[in-house]
Amino acid sequence: MFAFIAFSLRRAWQGFWRNGLMSLAAMATMVLMLVLLSGLILMLAGLDATINYVGQKVQVVAYIKDSAPKTDVDRIQLVLQEMPQVTQVNYVSKAQALASFQERQPGGAALIDTLPSNPLPASLEINLRDPSDYLEVANYLRAQTVSVDSVQDLKVTVGQMIAVANVLRTGGVAVLVVVCLTVLFIIMNTIRLAVMARAEEIEIMRLVGASDAFIRWPFIFEGALVGLFGAFITIALLWVVQAPLTNFMSDFFNVLPVQASVLVGRDVALVVLGTGVGIGILGSFLSVRSYLIR
Amino acid sequence: MPMVTAATPGSTSGTLRVPNPPSRRPAGRSADGKDFIALQGVGKTYANGRIALRDVDLAIPEGDFVFLVGPSGAGKTTLIRLLIRDETASKGQVLLDGRDLARLKRRDVPRIRRQIGTVFQDFKLLPTKSVRDNVAFALEVTGTPGRQIRPAVERVLRVVGLRDQASQLPSQLSGGEQQRTAIARALVHDPRLFIADEPTGNLDPLISWEIIQLLLRINEMGVTVLMATHNAEVVTALRKRVVALEDGRIVRDEIGAAYHRED
Repeated sequence: MFAFIAFSLRRAWQGFWRNGLMSLAAMATMVLMLVLLSGLILMLAGLDATINYVGQKVQVVAYIKDSAPKTDVDRIQLVLQEMPQVTQVNYVSKAQALASFQERQPGGAALIDTLPSNPLPASLEINLRDPSDYLEVANYLRAQTVSVDSVQDLKVTVGQMIAVANVLRTGGVAVLVVVCLTVLFIIMNTIRLAVMARAEEIEIMRLVGASDAFIRWPFIFEGALVGLFGAFITIALLWVVQAPLTNFMSDFFNVLPVQASVLVGRDVALVVLGTGVGIGILGSFLSVRSYLIR
Repeated sequence: MPMVTAATPGSTSGTLRVPNPPSRRPAGRSADGKDFIALQGVGKTYANGRIALRDVDLAIPEGDFVFLVGPSGAGKTTLIRLLIRDETASKGQVLLDGRDLARLKRRDVPRIRRQIGTVFQDFKLLPTKSVRDNVAFALEVTGTPGRQIRPAVERVLRVVGLRDQASQLPSQLSGGEQQRTAIARALVHDPRLFIADEPTGNLDPLISWEIIQLLLRINEMGVTVLMATHNAEVVTALRKRVVALEDGRIVRDEIGAAYHRED
């Protein structure tokens, strides 16, 4: 068993360097695919972060009538707190609304002072667990006609964002599958050429009674080697671009807390490594199978 | 299993197994009384429709030396490919030591091939490996532990007389030395059957005789030898069993015969 593994690894290593140019081409394609893959992961992660960020901000805001009885407002607040979709309920009084308005718009304070009374309504700010739960909460609030004046409509915005995210996710995965298949075929071709280059050796191996495993595994290790090197190069590339990428992303998204350094972390490295080696092995396996097994 | 040893049969070196001379068995019969090689009604038609063998019956006892003769395209190579299980018969049965080769499990095929040594007209040596490494390759690719390889290789190089050339590349050798390297490689698994397909086809007459002498010695050690050849001089001089193929049929099977029909 040890002799077998040592033999296979040695032959894979020799084969990798003997077909240097082909190995290089396969590796370059592999790197391209893995960069695309990590790009997609980064994009989706950024998108998720955005949705989460906005999602946390998604509040249903119910404006309370000035005539609303205090007991009724307390009751509504209690009911909301009991709802499973709701994470937090804040009561913002008329005075607090005025204070925060003045804070945001210092110039407006003078304007407000000219009015006979505080024109800003009290409100209930409700944080949701999931933006898509919006409707149920909003409907409940709309039914409270005694106290609730109006409910701010966020439904459309949130719905559109989720739709865009889903399209991007599906599209990204589809593109990635196509790229993966392309790389698979290229690896298969590379290994096939390697197999043909060593047709004489393989013929001799068969003649002297080498088992299929001894013929097959060196090529599978060779494919794994292409994947392994490709993954290392990709991870090195990502590591190099991670700082400028973080800057670009925070410039581009401005407020969004997306940090590339977090994303180009262990998880992406593992995915890149696993995909590279996996496709290398699969490509070799299929290619050797179609060529050797007669 | 017969064992090929160096020229000194009395050698009792620890790594060598005791030779099993053919005389232990009734001449021409394997232990179970069946023929070592048996072809029964064998036909072979290739996928492209070419008929290579038609209804061939052939029985070869263990320890025999058989020349396979006939014009090119007569089916000699197909017969050999059936015996090494590179192809399977379209009709009939090919039995080696009582086992039907067509019904062999895939993973048993390599084990059978290790009992068969094969050499060809074109030697099939790896040009980047030395003589020693070419021979060792046959052991490496069959999972022989490293420490057993070296003594086994030295032993067969002694048999074929190539110890002094062991470090040379095939390109540095003469044709005869290259064929002897191939023979050493074929012997390294201690085969019971030795198949030579036109082994002297690329060699001049003097060197050809050296190769034939080597095959005869291998046969004396108890190994069944089947040699396909066009070399009329050798076949006629040796008066061994001659099986002649023509157009996929056996047209002659005589013991102590010449290359051409003599009646």
